[in-house]
Amino acid sequence: MPPRLRPSTLSSAISTCPPVRPQCISQSPRISREFSQTSCQRITKRRRLFYEWLNTTGASLKEPIPGSTNYLGAYDRYGNLIRAAPGWQRNKAENTKKDSEKGAEQATQPGGQEVEDDLEMSARRDEQKKGNAKQENQLPPETAEDLRPFPMNHHFRSQPVLSEDLREAIYQRVKRDGATVALASVEFGVSNERVGAVVRLKQLEKEWIAQGKRLAIPYSKAVLDMVPTTPYVDPTKAKNKYIRPITHEAINDLIVHPATRQQLFVPVAESRHFTRVDAGKAFDNNLLPADDRIPHPELVLAERESAMGLSFEERKALALERMEQEEEKRRRKQDKEQAYLRSLKTVPKRRWDFVFKDVSVDSVGIDGRDHRGVGWRYGMPHEDRKRGQVKIPTKVDA
Amino acid sequence: MVVRIRLARFGKKHAPFYNIVVAHARTARNSRPLEVLGTYNPLPQPPRPGDTHGRPWKDIKLDLSRTRYWVGVGAQPSDTAWRLLAMVGILEPKFRVGEVLGQVVRADSAAKSLIPPATAAGGESGGAGETKGAVEA
Repeated sequence: MPPRLRPSTLSSAISTCPPVRPQCISQSPRISREFSQTSCQRITKRRRLFYEWLNTTGASLKEPIPGSTNYLGAYDRYGNLIRAAPGWQRNKAENTKKDSEKGAEQATQPGGQEVEDDLEMSARRDEQKKGNAKQENQLPPETAEDLRPFPMNHHFRSQPVLSEDLREAIYQRVKRDGATVALASVEFGVSNERVGAVVRLKQLEKEWIAQGKRLAIPYSKAVLDMVPTTPYVDPTKAKNKYIRPITHEAINDLIVHPATRQQLFVPVAESRHFTRVDAGKAFDNNLLPADDRIPHPELVLAERESAMGLSFEERKALALERMEQEEEKRRRKQDKEQAYLRSLKTVPKRRWDFVFKDVSVDSVGIDGRDHRGVGWRYGMPHEDRKRGQVKIPTKVDA
Repeated sequence: MVVRIRLARFGKKHAPFYNIVVAHARTARNSRPLEVLGTYNPLPQPPRPGDTHGRPWKDIKLDLSRTRYWVGVGAQPSDTAWRLLAMVGILEPKFRVGEVLGQVVRADSAAKSLIPPATAAGGESGGAGETKGAVEA
């Protein structure tokens, strides 16, 4: 069979790309072979469509457009970028990319004040829009339709991830400046858990670099280029003076406690003052009210203080006092840990350290059966094969 | 009857864990001892988190004052127990093969590097002579 011609609907940009696979497939003239059970290698319609796809959409996906996401949903069935203007050409865009970046930087300096509070997505693509006015060949920013990795699943939209700069900034804010996780979370608009994860993983990364391990940086860069990311707006730079930091996610969402998943009908007397504390108690006696379970109760407190009509100085003093208390609490915890480590006697040997901890034999109690006693206990059967014994680790030291 | 400080093996298959116990010498290994002084986990633990160049470590819990008392009244540590007790300075180390070997190597190299071969036969330094004697002995 001769090499198949490509369909004429392809854009010229794609036609410059080399084909994914040579098209020459030897086809046997026979339909079936009487001596063999193997199905014969003829070209089916599916196979033809598969190679057609590889040469159109597949070719576009194989070489991601720089500075853009790389999702199936952004292309039509002929491999054309849906959001691109009719005259847009792929190669030209790649060549002019560097110029447009320069132009975008210049354009954002005067026009930064226009960024609205609620338009975080527009802020995300602000630079691209600014560059768009100048460059005809510039790609418009991705719409929600373009962020669909699975074309059949219309409800799945790819969410942005933290960019490398933002992660580094979070790590430096927590480790170098000593900000609490909650404070960093409020400043960067990233949830508490994510801040914790970023700090832990960054710490691990630095340790690996210190140990001389090789990191998969090209891989990480390639992946981050193809997914939407939240950029870092450095507030120390002059050009970012009037730009608000971009919020990555909602930080103060109430976590659904398992005890609140049931539907309750609690008859309450009209005269009774039924508060959120009572609502929490109605679900479970140990359940805290929603006000205490949200990740950032201090934000609610600050808002309440401003509603009470306190002046800025008073509110600042109160906030500082609270931060001081937090700091004191943290220092006490750290001192305790340090004191514990100092109380250990470490004897370094050839392959490992022997760490001695002084204990008291009296901790077993008078009858010698106290569970706090030192050592493996005598006459006590193991319970690890019993029903309901959790052996999966429930916490990780980090 | 002799009172010994020794290890009693607990734990699971491939996961040993020892109690450091004071017991009569002729009782069974895991029988109820006179006193449990501490524990010894021989499996090296990974370095503590945040420790970039941390080394693996072995966890030992020991009542030091009580151990001193038992040694003082004549309890005889087993070889393994002796090694552990020597680490915290309760006893003098019993086997110091590595230490002596190190000394020998060090003295040997010092003698080779410092003393010129011509005068080596006449006067030898005291330290090198001692260690040579130790090797021969």
